This record gives sequence, C-alpha cells and structure tokens, in this order.
Amino acid sequence: MKKLILTLTIIGLISALALAYIYQITAPLIEGEEALARKKAVLDVLPESDSYTEVVKNGIIFYEGNVEGEVAMSVSGGGFNGEIKLMIGANPFEGKIYKITVLNHSETPGLGSKITDDEFTSIFAGKPFGKYQVVKRPVSNPMEVEAISGATISSQAVTDIISDAVNRMRLAYGGGA
Amino acid sequence: MGFLRDFTNGLWNENPTFRIVIGMCPTLAITNQAINGLVMGLATTFVLLASEIVVSLIKKLVPNEVRIPSYVVIIATFVTFVDYFLKAFLPDVAAALSLFIPLIVVNCIILGRAEAFASKNPVKNSIADALGMGLGFTWALVLLSVIREFLGSGSVFGFRLLGNWYPRMTIMLLPAGAFISLGLLMGVMNLISRKKSGKEVN
Amino acid sequence: MEEFTQILLLFASTILINNFILVRFLGICPFLGVSRQISTAFSMGLATTFVMTLTGMAAWLINTYILEKFNLPFLQYVIFILVIASLVQFVEMFIKKTSPALYKALGIFLPLITTNCAILGLALLIPQNGYGFIKSVVFGFSAGAGFTLAIVLMAGLREAIEFSDIPEVLKGVPISLIIAGIMALAFMGFSGMIPG
Repeated sequence: MKKLILTLTIIGLISALALAYIYQITAPLIEGEEALARKKAVLDVLPESDSYTEVVKNGIIFYEGNVEGEVAMSVSGGGFNGEIKLMIGANPFEGKIYKITVLNHSETPGLGSKITDDEFTSIFAGKPFGKYQVVKRPVSNPMEVEAISGATISSQAVTDIISDAVNRMRLAYGGGA
Repeated sequence: MGFLRDFTNGLWNENPTFRIVIGMCPTLAITNQAINGLVMGLATTFVLLASEIVVSLIKKLVPNEVRIPSYVVIIATFVTFVDYFLKAFLPDVAAALSLFIPLIVVNCIILGRAEAFASKNPVKNSIADALGMGLGFTWALVLLSVIREFLGSGSVFGFRLLGNWYPRMTIMLLPAGAFISLGLLMGVMNLISRKKSGKEVN
Repeated sequence: MEEFTQILLLFASTILINNFILVRFLGICPFLGVSRQISTAFSMGLATTFVMTLTGMAAWLINTYILEKFNLPFLQYVIFILVIASLVQFVEMFIKKTSPALYKALGIFLPLITTNCAILGLALLIPQNGYGFIKSVVFGFSAGAGFTLAIVLMAGLREAIEFSDIPEVLKGVPISLIIAGIMALAFMGFSGMIPG
C-alpha cells in the first residue's frame, strides 16, 4: 500500500513540476500572441490610427485611437449557434461607424458564417448611430440592413449587437449625434 | 525486423481509425480543414510517442494496482504540454482545435497503446509502435479532412483549387457531412482491404 | 425570473441544439459501441447522465475553489481527469452497495465512462463558458439527457435496420455513421429555435 501511494505521489509531483515549468515559459508567449491579435483587430477597424490606449467608461473598455475621435470596442452577443464576437470601430462624436469585423463566431458554415464576409460587414461602414432594422429586401434608408439570404437569424443577431454597442458608445461619450 | 513490423502495424493492419475504430471524436470534429487534421494527427502522435516512451521506461517501477492512474497522469501531462505549445506558436490552429487538444487525454488510442503495448515491450519497439499508430491516425485524419475541405470549400490546405463556379457543398463542413463522409470512407477502406486479402488467398 | 429563463434555455439548447454527440462530437465511442439495443443504450445513457451531473458539480467546485484560487491553470487537465476517474470509481462502489439491481444494469458501463470524452469535455466546457454553480449542474444534466436521447434514437434505428439488405462493406460502424449523419441533419432543424 505504501508503495502504491509513494509511486502515485512521485508521478504526480514530477508532472506538476514539469507543467509549472512549461507554463512559466509559454504563458508570456501566449499572452503576447493574444495582445498582438487584439491590437491587430483594433487597428483594423480604426481608419487612421496606428496606436491606441485603453479607456474604461461606464464600466466598458474602449480603445481610443491616437487620431482624434476614433474609438473601437469589442462586443459579443448570442447568434444562431453560439456567441458572436465583434470589433466595432466608430466615431462617437460624429455618431458614425467606420468598420466592423467579426472576431469569433460559431454560426453554420456556408450560411450564417457569411456574416464574416466583407459583403455583409461593409454594410455597416459609414452608417450613422441608431437602431438598425433587418429587412429581407433591398434597403430603402440608411437604418436598414439587408439580411443574408438563408441566414436571417445570424444577420439579425449581428445587427442587434451593433445597435446595442453603438448605443452604449454614444452614452459613454456623452450623446454625440 | 520486429521494429519495422511494429511500425507498419498501425499504418494499415491495425489502423486506429479504419480498422480498430477508436479516437472517433476528433476524427469527426476537426476534419473540416486539412490543416486541422494534420496538426491534430501530429499532436496525437507526439503525445502517443512521449507517453509510450515514458510508460515503457518505468513499466517495472510502477506497481500493477496503480498502473492506469499513473498512465493517465503521464498522458495528461504531455497533453497539457502540447496544448500550451500550440497556443504559443500556432494560435489560429489551436483555436480551431480548441477542446479537442485537451481531449487527447481520453483518446482511447493513447491509453490503449500504453496499456496494451508499451507496458509490455522495450522502449525501442514502443517507439516504433507509437510512430506507426500515430502516423496511421494522422493519415486517416488528413485523408478525411482533405476530402471534406475539397468538397466543402473547393480548396485543399487553404489553397483554392476550384474557382467560384464551384457550388460549395456546405454540408461537408457540417456535423452531418462529417458522419456521412467518414461512414462512406470506412466502407471504401473495407472494400480495399477485402480486395487485398482476397488476392492474397488466391 | 431572468435567471430561471436562462437556465431553461440552457437546458433545451444543450439537449437539442448543441447536442453533445450530434453537434459537438463528444462521446462518439459509446454512441457507436453501445447502441445495438434500445435497453442497453438506455442504461448507458442513464449511467452517463448520472456521472455527468456529478461531474458538472465537481468541475465547478474544483475550478473555483482550487484551480482559480491557487492559480494553477496548468494542472486543469491532470486534475479533471483524475477527479472524473475517482468519481466513476466512487459511483460504482456506491451503486454496488446501495442497489445491486441497478449495479447489474449499469455496472459494466461505468468503467467505460471514464474514457468517454463527453465527460472530460463537459468538465472543460464549464470554466470556458463561465457558468455558475447551478448552471454547471443543469449543463451536466442536460448534456447527459441529450446524450441519452441521441444514443437511444440511434439504437432504435439500428434495431430497425438489423435485417435490412445493406452492402456488406457498410455493415456495422459505417452504416451507423451514415445514420448518425442523417440524424445530425434532422437535429439541425432545432437550431435557431431558441434565439440567442
């Protein structure tokens, strides 16, 4: 019995030590990788900025670009199959969206996954802040968003996340448009 | 001679995917892109190799009663190692494989080979067995993922082979396509092995 | 009230939309191995659901009070798999003592459950999804219920095709996989039923 416990303890200890060591080496690398990915995503949605600072307003983290008025935020919400994570770049003072990108999603490949296509994300570029409406026909005013055919729910989900995000951004930056 | 036989065993005769039918979860889940299949196969091969070496080295030191828990701890250690390594150096692929890297821990291939082979054989043969089994698993994953990516996205390893005219078969990328294509592929493998053994008899 | 609705949604979506077997590909081995007969499939499902509910509980407790408290994320896989193995052993002993009849029905399946990747997958998903205690338990139970549903349906279909004229090379696992594919297609109809 003693030998059994001893063997398991030794193996457990060696394993724990080895893992602690590997964790120490790789943790900074992994963190660096994540920071790099976030930086790329933020700068991608801000047209002019080449650096940014993190600012917390109303309990939300905003990334303010070094060019006046450019602000990005990362938001997420429920989609068709799971969480959708977006990065939104906008000017809250003029109340205008620059660009959105989809960071992460688990929508149906080939249908809902079309929310990542430029064809869909570019719809939001240049839109004024407000509450957007998903329609299943060509749009007739700037507050409307044409749904991807076969993926109305995913389109609706992205649109709702953005409507909510720009509203929070507007409140945080004191009214705007 | 024994070395070579142990190596080739896993490639075909006892191929984990097509013959023994184990390790099905990752086989189905991550084979929607060829690169995922390749990385998953190699990650599993690494864990299998490292675990078989260690198990074979310490087989005389570990009392029989705590054999399985000891092996499980050893396997889980190497899996964690691979997980951190992938997250640090191949973050995109690591994100695509997500849950299925840690799940290598419970991939029956690893515990199965550690218990059935490495705990009874010398290190040299265990290395051969691990490489054979690991690469046998890898080629099965790559084959399935190449088929699925080609039919589903018209590309292989991310290279566009078919133009925009190709109506992409989205279903191949979905769970349903995974099940159906693996089922048919297994049927084809059965057919090949039957033809092969039929010839040998004649 | 909000919390309650969320839990109900989690329950329904774990069973139907993100079904562990048909969508997440967790637990394929028992799904193919123990689905020849409805009765055994049901027992397997029951045993798995039981262990999964306990795992949901244990995973949350360990993650919150040990791994996060002492900042040991690198031991997650090792500890989870050891806990699951001990849990299964404990359940086996407990059932053996308290209900020999139940042990007879479930006994042979219990050791198999340790290497069922649905269990470890469940444990790993709990910290990843950031569930609280109640949600973790509900998640464990509904994952098990979804597993049972899929495996029993599969067994029913396999019983029905037992004497069908299937090409020799597709008999056994290949045809089961193809059936599972058609089932997965059918289950796709559920997604979108619950928005967000």
